[in-house]
Amino acid sequence: MRRVSRSTWDSLTVPRRCVCGHPIRLNDLLSSSFSTSSSSSSSSSSLSPASPSPSRPSSIPTIRSKPQTTRPFSTTPSLAVIPSLLPTQSAKLAALHGRLELPNKYPLATLGRALIDPTAESEHHLNNDGLSNLGNVLLGYYTSEYLMVQYPRLPYEILKTAMNGYIGPEALAAVGTGWGVEAAFAPGETVDPGLLQFNRVAPGTPMYKVQGGVGFNIPRKRNKMVPNFENNPSVDAALADETPGMKAAREAQRSGQDATTLHLAMASFVRATVAGVYLHAGGLPATKEFVHAHVLSRKLDINRLFQFEQPTRELSRLCVREGFQQPIARLEKETGRYSRHAVFIVGVYSGEEKLGEGQGSSLPEAKIKAAISALKGWYLYSPVTGADLPSKTDGHPGLPFSPAVVDVGDVVS
Amino acid sequence: MVVRGLQAVSKAQNGVGAFILQCKRLEFNYCEMSGSSRGMKAFLKTRLATFAKENPGVEIVVSPRPKKHPIIRGSYINKREKVVCVRNLEVLQVLQKAELLRDASGDKIKKINKPVQSLNDSVRGIWSPYHAKGEDVYKV
Repeated sequence: MRRVSRSTWDSLTVPRRCVCGHPIRLNDLLSSSFSTSSSSSSSSSSLSPASPSPSRPSSIPTIRSKPQTTRPFSTTPSLAVIPSLLPTQSAKLAALHGRLELPNKYPLATLGRALIDPTAESEHHLNNDGLSNLGNVLLGYYTSEYLMVQYPRLPYEILKTAMNGYIGPEALAAVGTGWGVEAAFAPGETVDPGLLQFNRVAPGTPMYKVQGGVGFNIPRKRNKMVPNFENNPSVDAALADETPGMKAAREAQRSGQDATTLHLAMASFVRATVAGVYLHAGGLPATKEFVHAHVLSRKLDINRLFQFEQPTRELSRLCVREGFQQPIARLEKETGRYSRHAVFIVGVYSGEEKLGEGQGSSLPEAKIKAAISALKGWYLYSPVTGADLPSKTDGHPGLPFSPAVVDVGDVVS
Repeated sequence: MVVRGLQAVSKAQNGVGAFILQCKRLEFNYCEMSGSSRGMKAFLKTRLATFAKENPGVEIVVSPRPKKHPIIRGSYINKREKVVCVRNLEVLQVLQKAELLRDASGDKIKKINKPVQSLNDSVRGIWSPYHAKGEDVYKV
């Protein structure tokens, strides 16, 4: 017993259209025997409220007597990924829709399309490429806005790192996994529409060959910025370890064929889901709510993203720029100076005002930590009352709005 | 003079913001013939449709498991499974077991000793002997 228990016969009478309006052909389902017997049952009342297509008047023939060999708007005749199970028939997809508490306006077809990676289906109107791009822009909008209003003085490098921590591929893949999305072993016609479909990278493929892949899994020579992977002995050594099976899989993968990793495909699905919320579930306000609930509610310690090179010098430059008195480090407390476990507490002062404090087992360490604490105190300034996010007025232009602080930026020199 | 960013990935806090039910799939298995499945079969006929409608986030699967006792198998987001045998149970008892599996997190059952588990730093801070003044030095 499926939760969306509609028979295949009924579903055949409904014209299926994908999000952008192109009809999806049901090559494998349509046959002459189906068309003759199912013509009488034209009314199909979907149990699922999120039926993707409005019912047509019965006068329009919805079943073709002869299956076409090619789709309209299609450049390739093969129907690689469209599963034989329709999106509205998949219990997995409906459960995912319910788990995310998406509104009924959000069709299952869009959610199903978000699960199809461009590496699984190259047809642009069937994969999540466009949705994913749109979702990326929306996620970037809300995340950068949130960070800039919350921490107006964040240095640019830290802002970028924090953005990556919230909406980078790793973070979004974790969001998607947390939604309980599973991946199909391989894309194909028989795959349930509720599974993530993408073409996996063959084992043994170096990460630098993966589109959008980060990092290198092959040791690089020191001081060699652009390593030559093609004629590199270390690459050859790494590839020599692969088993014959791995080698066959790697060579079976054509050079032009796209492949991606689970993380990247999952991140792309999450972006596409956000875009779906924007398109179907009420525009910007609903998207903002969704992004804040699922992405920005996660825990990221901005405090721990900093790595200073010369904190004492930077603090000094900061005080010059802001017109403060030069910072002076003062020893506040100490214990066990001549023991194994000395502890020094150093405060850094600008005139009478204490900027920061550090604790260390040596005087320089405590001094550096005090400077770091002072700099973090400056950079992590957050408005106490909390400024309004500019997107507050997106759906409601009349709302009162207090603008955010815009700082002069980080210390340059 | 450069500040560098240390890469970090945000951590999930389910329930802060959105809440995702951790049970993603419930599989009900029954036997047509045996008497131990009587309550389970009645549950499938009378209660399951309502149960499924109340829990749209859970995929419901029903399949026969001949010559075996009836079971409910829950699959969770953390890739674990929990199985409960519901032999000879009445309809409401089966429902209770289904709700138990639905509400479970999927984790192994473990003893929780601390009243609060949090990713956030302590609000009160850590006591330091260097900052306490006067008599408070010895008060923790």
